[in-house]
Amino acid sequence: MNAAESAGRWQQQTLIEAVRLRETLWGPVEDLSESRLARAAGGSFEQRVWRRALALARRDGLQQAWQQWWQAARWLLVLMAVLALAAGAGAAAGALGDGSRPVNVLLALGALLGLHVLTLLFWLFSLAWTGKGVGGGSWAGDAWLWLSRRMVKGQASLVPQAFAAVLARRRSQPWLFGMVSHGLWILALGSAVVTLLLLLASRRYQFNWETTLLSPDAFVWLTERIGALPSLLGFSMPDAQTIRISDGLHVLDAQAQAQWSGWLLGALVVYGVLPRATALVWSVWHWWRHSAALRLDDSLPGLAELRPRLMPASEPTGVDVLASPDTVAHIRPALDAALPADSICMVGLELAPEQPWPPSFLSPDMQDLGRVDARAERLAVLGRLQAATPRRLLMVCDAGQTPDRGIVATLVEWAQLARQADVILMDSPTAPVSPERRQSWHQRLGAAGFAAVQIHDQWPAAETEETP
Amino acid sequence: MNPAPLSLAVVGHTNTGKTSLLRTLTRDTRFGEVRNSPGTTRHVEGARLAVDDEALVELFDTPGLEDSMALLDFMDQLSQPGERIDGPERIRRFLESPAAQGRFEQEARVLRKLQACDAGLYVVDARDPVLSKHKDELTLLAYSGRPLLPVLNFVRSPQARIQEWRSALARLGLHALAEFDTVAPALDGEALLYDKLAVLLETHADVLQRLKLDLNRQAALRRRDALRLLAELLVDVAAWRISIAPDAESMEQAGRRLRERVVEREAKSVQALLRRYSFSRQDLVADLLHFDGERWGMDLFDPQALKEFGVQLSKGVAAGAMAGATLDVVTGGLSLGAGTVLGALAGGLWQGADKWGQRLMGKLRGETELSVDDAVLRLLAVRQLSLLAALERRGHAAQSPIRLGEIDAQDLDQPLQRELNVWRAQPLPDELRQARIHPQWSTLRDDYAPDARREACVRQLAERLLGARERPAKVSPA
Repeated sequence: MNAAESAGRWQQQTLIEAVRLRETLWGPVEDLSESRLARAAGGSFEQRVWRRALALARRDGLQQAWQQWWQAARWLLVLMAVLALAAGAGAAAGALGDGSRPVNVLLALGALLGLHVLTLLFWLFSLAWTGKGVGGGSWAGDAWLWLSRRMVKGQASLVPQAFAAVLARRRSQPWLFGMVSHGLWILALGSAVVTLLLLLASRRYQFNWETTLLSPDAFVWLTERIGALPSLLGFSMPDAQTIRISDGLHVLDAQAQAQWSGWLLGALVVYGVLPRATALVWSVWHWWRHSAALRLDDSLPGLAELRPRLMPASEPTGVDVLASPDTVAHIRPALDAALPADSICMVGLELAPEQPWPPSFLSPDMQDLGRVDARAERLAVLGRLQAATPRRLLMVCDAGQTPDRGIVATLVEWAQLARQADVILMDSPTAPVSPERRQSWHQRLGAAGFAAVQIHDQWPAAETEETP
Repeated sequence: MNPAPLSLAVVGHTNTGKTSLLRTLTRDTRFGEVRNSPGTTRHVEGARLAVDDEALVELFDTPGLEDSMALLDFMDQLSQPGERIDGPERIRRFLESPAAQGRFEQEARVLRKLQACDAGLYVVDARDPVLSKHKDELTLLAYSGRPLLPVLNFVRSPQARIQEWRSALARLGLHALAEFDTVAPALDGEALLYDKLAVLLETHADVLQRLKLDLNRQAALRRRDALRLLAELLVDVAAWRISIAPDAESMEQAGRRLRERVVEREAKSVQALLRRYSFSRQDLVADLLHFDGERWGMDLFDPQALKEFGVQLSKGVAAGAMAGATLDVVTGGLSLGAGTVLGALAGGLWQGADKWGQRLMGKLRGETELSVDDAVLRLLAVRQLSLLAALERRGHAAQSPIRLGEIDAQDLDQPLQRELNVWRAQPLPDELRQARIHPQWSTLRDDYAPDARREACVRQLAERLLGARERPAKVSPA
């Protein structure tokens, strides 16, 4: 993975987060076409979320905001690098002075390395506590992000906010800030080394040490310890005798001054540049690993809810043929009505077995045609009705059932064979019948040509007297 | 190239819930039109079930059969006396006759679709009595020469005649059948349905197996996401506190603000949950006006609600302006930065030190802080878990709104049941106690900034809710 790819990944996560943040802060956005786009493109949920976020970010200017901020952040980095170079050079020049006075080696070393050592230790400590979330552990990095956030305005400020959120969630902050601050420190220390070399090459300096409290032996011991590591790398080091007489009271030869300057340079390189370089390599390696392992947390609120929309379990495939109008059989007037037979008949159609038969309102003057279900039974009833057209036919149905076309057609067929036909919708024996169900009975029977007075929700009802 | 998807025609008598079955299987509340009246669907409408972008099954919703008796009579007329013709041939003759365009147009459409499909799902309203017309329908459908799987709908209704239907179907040679309530499907209902189908369609068994595995995966994902939402909500509310001057008027104001914001936050979480489960707000309350504040939210701070959801209390709950809120002296006195660092350093020490610290800092600043009561947090958790359970058991065909109080304890799976009991009776888990001392973790704050520790805490809490984390049984109910 190269740098551009890594930046691309972070950009991706940042834009997804920015879109998410905006939706959680200011409510849902209109995203119909963007979601459709993401759905159509297919792929994993993460890819779809990214497509949608990218489309939304392009539409609403977040993509440009990222570029704006990223550019600002880079310029800021360049500015900070220039400052670091200047500060390094300044520190080196300040530590050595103008050559008019002898240089106190320990103070010079402290001026060159003191702040560096302190901040490096702080960074290392913060690493131990990243699990507890103690910031990024680097003032330079903090300042960089903070300043870059101030450089973009309005809605664009969502982008650095989102970037910080992604960093915090991944705990990648120490490594990014580490890269920034170690990079800056290497520049500063490098510029200090170069300045030191230039000054030492072009001016004559005298090095000494001073102490009021300590013994010269302690000083010799300290100097040798500090110089031990650089001397392994070939930096020159004054011997014990030279150190002992560098107390500013003796005059040293040029050889000894050269050795001291070698000691100073060596210490700066070994305790300054090298640790920072190591830390930088370490940070870069970790940052690389974090970048490579960058995955979307798809259970985040705001993203999880997108799943049914972006990855629907099903999609409608549409209608094959448009619906035809609902056809229900109609009563045709009985032109060739048979001779009136003076009977009242009652029949139950498609009743549940629990429904008691005959019903309580069967009176002796009524003729019971029984409960009817099978085809043969229906045909038999039809035959009896044809033989003697009754004065009145009471057809009892279970209102809890569905008035399908089949049952309506049968009712119509029978009704045509009586002078007056009534449909009685009995309550279901097992459960109360919903009003909608009764409504659909009335509708269907009405459509079939039954008048409202012919349809009864219960029996006997006051208005159900025979029509003259 | 992918093979053509397995095609299934959903057939049955009119108004038995064919479109409802489609809705529940596709998790799409807007598929087709569902009404409690016959002949609602009069066209054939399809939907595809896809796994990993690959369409595996195609379902077709067909019009209901309504006049099968007459159609059967008509078919008999189409064959000469003494002529022996098989089912598909009968159907071919019928479809070629003019009646297929006229009186039996709807039936013709169903038969045509069924013949074009690999199999049929015969939907039965188990509350209906077994009638001759149903037997005729099955005879008719059997003529198509396609395997039929009867699906008993509304089996959870007390009026269901499951046994009657089973024996009637067995007499017609249909021994494999599935029970599937489209309004309140069992958790593994869909999986069982596909299992039954796999027996009938062994050449497609692998496809059905894949579909089944994906169902399980999606269900697990949904629950994971839902519990994450809940964990976020709980951490937000637990961490939230308002600093106020200790006079009565500002306390009352702050109390009101606290409740309003918590109610708003819960509503937001509920909406996200509904969206995640592909439901809409209509599924929760019939009246949308009630959703955004009044009924759904406000009773969160009503002592009655605690009782209703079985949240146990040790002490009396405050009523009136301060109901559901806890007053305590400033704990976040070392606000934000310093507090975080100290908290990090002190870790376990903090728990012991905070009582002393509270008193000291409160004296120094002369301020108090208002936060949400433990009992309300527990109620919030119980309510959201109940809602989650209800959503998991709700078919996408269901029309009546969810009633949270009515969830049957037997219906819950074990981890969920255990969590509910724990939240009802036990003190807050460690994660929420952590959240309590980190006010900066609440997204209800205006100056909220992302925090890796908060993320970790939310994730742990979500895992705990999933049942993956055992709760140490160290503290007895306080």
